[in-house]
Amino acid sequence: MKPMLTAVDPTIAAWVLFGVFFTLLFLRVPVAVALALACLPLLILEPNLSPMTLVQETFNAFNSFILLAVPFFLLTANLMNVGGITDRLVRLSRALVGHMPGGLAQVNVVLSFFFAGISGSSTADAASQSKIFIPAQTKEGYDLGFSVAITAVSSVLAVVIPPSILMIVWGGVLSVSIGALFLAGVIPGLLLGLVQMATVHAYAKARGYPTYARSSLREFGVATFVAVPALMTPVIIIGGKIFGWFTATESACIAVLYAATLSLIVYRQMDLKGLRSALTDTGRLAGVTLFCVGTASAFGWMLAYYQIPKAILEGVSAWGMGSMATGFFVAAVFLVVGCFLDAIPAIIIVGTILQPLVQAVGMDPVHFAMIGIVSLAFGLVTPPYGLCLMIACSIGKVRMFDVLKDVLIMLIPMFGVLILVIVWPQVSLLLPSLVSPEFLK
Amino acid sequence: MTSASTSSPSAWRRFTAVYALVLDWLLAISVAVLVFPVTLQIFSRFTDLLPHYIWTEEMARLLFVWVIMVGAMIGVREGTHFVVDVWPSSTGRFAAGLRLFGSLSILALAVVFLWFGLEFTRFGWNRISELAELPLWIIHAAWPLAGLTWIVFLGEHIVDQWREMTRSAA
Repeated sequence: MKPMLTAVDPTIAAWVLFGVFFTLLFLRVPVAVALALACLPLLILEPNLSPMTLVQETFNAFNSFILLAVPFFLLTANLMNVGGITDRLVRLSRALVGHMPGGLAQVNVVLSFFFAGISGSSTADAASQSKIFIPAQTKEGYDLGFSVAITAVSSVLAVVIPPSILMIVWGGVLSVSIGALFLAGVIPGLLLGLVQMATVHAYAKARGYPTYARSSLREFGVATFVAVPALMTPVIIIGGKIFGWFTATESACIAVLYAATLSLIVYRQMDLKGLRSALTDTGRLAGVTLFCVGTASAFGWMLAYYQIPKAILEGVSAWGMGSMATGFFVAAVFLVVGCFLDAIPAIIIVGTILQPLVQAVGMDPVHFAMIGIVSLAFGLVTPPYGLCLMIACSIGKVRMFDVLKDVLIMLIPMFGVLILVIVWPQVSLLLPSLVSPEFLK
Repeated sequence: MTSASTSSPSAWRRFTAVYALVLDWLLAISVAVLVFPVTLQIFSRFTDLLPHYIWTEEMARLLFVWVIMVGAMIGVREGTHFVVDVWPSSTGRFAAGLRLFGSLSILALAVVFLWFGLEFTRFGWNRISELAELPLWIIHAAWPLAGLTWIVFLGEHIVDQWREMTRSAA
């Protein structure tokens, strides 16, 4: 950063930036707008800057080939829904786990797992599965709060299991191999899925939720057969990325093409109306999410201009934490930040602030990324700003407050997985070190 | 969200509704077209049938910027930009006041985007992109247009929110 003298004292600048931002958030101003307006007073006061910076920095954020993966993954998810791919995966999930206690809720979790391997967007997962499972589960006698909570909580698998938008953004912003991140997410994602299934099991036993009859071997075979083309998607995307056939963004585009091919040619369930709604829904969600990323980048630029992250870090590095303590510190920061901020701006702002700190203690960048991404996944379902929970609540027509207890219960076993990811780096690093050790440092 | 009035909508509201529909179509088309340059980029690398295009990435980024900005424009009309809701009730005079304050805040940003976005567009007027040689103002123009569009959409929101607030007061 430029070592120039700023007209406004950096401490005052920090108070203005964070003060205006949080005040506006509190007053229900949209997050994206609050971030932009927080920059404005300083942009006017500082003689070397002007509000033009706001335009320039949002432009710089959007003018990025990496972020292009976001609309592609959203579009993939939307195409899966209108094209009958989701239906096939539901059938397979039911054949696999429908006979367990709380059959439909288990299907909910397993479908999120499959979905996570195809789309990298939790919001897309929450939006589509809420529409399917919340009405279906309540009809079968599941409590509404439980149904909303499990749908929201299971949707976060999409950002931990590859492909993942957060991994692509993390890799792009902090210069970490996206292929290595994809591989690193597999085991933590599996563990999260398993503890969620165990949670459903415990709920179902306690509350007597219904169970389906065990599927016949024939039904299992047929369900697998019809789902095979869909299940090939993760192989193509992740394989293509790891073997270097295409970049992360291109892999997201391949996912779109593959989903479109399945919908149009193999399953033949997509009509023009479905296609149009898939396209518009994608554009709308991409627009509001990424606009937020743009103003968050401008906000991050302002923080860097006043060297505020450096000042905060100087205080923290004086604590003299070791590698594991730093891991817990990183998780704590992302858990708190994730409550208030969208995951993508959180990576841009907080990830870049923490990076020198973890580098100093010699933590592997991929391990750091996984701690950050798993912690941010919690933030998707924690209020006040838990996007997946907000989506599930709005579709289930309940207040966030009413489902909070169930969400928190479900998060407890997931915390166990987060702790495991922190204290045992091999959970993340095993697969990348086996498949492509050259990606690790 | 706009509260629907019982009388037939004014010409202004009909105009904004049509404008929103146009933006909606523009958005759908842009998302669809976005897939092409990236696909070309991948396939030209693996086959000799297509020449290597160097403009595909720039083309994709141009469309991407427009997808975000048009999506953000529609987001203001539909009130879908993310908010952090710490207040329990969404009805009544206080909630209407908060919504009005939110709209006025967006309006402030809209003015900044319009004013400085015009400067930004003028700045790109005589410049072209490196590879595809696209005139840069085509991309830069998304900012002033977003500002203008927000102002257009916010007008009716602000009127509705003001009415709601003063009505509940009575």
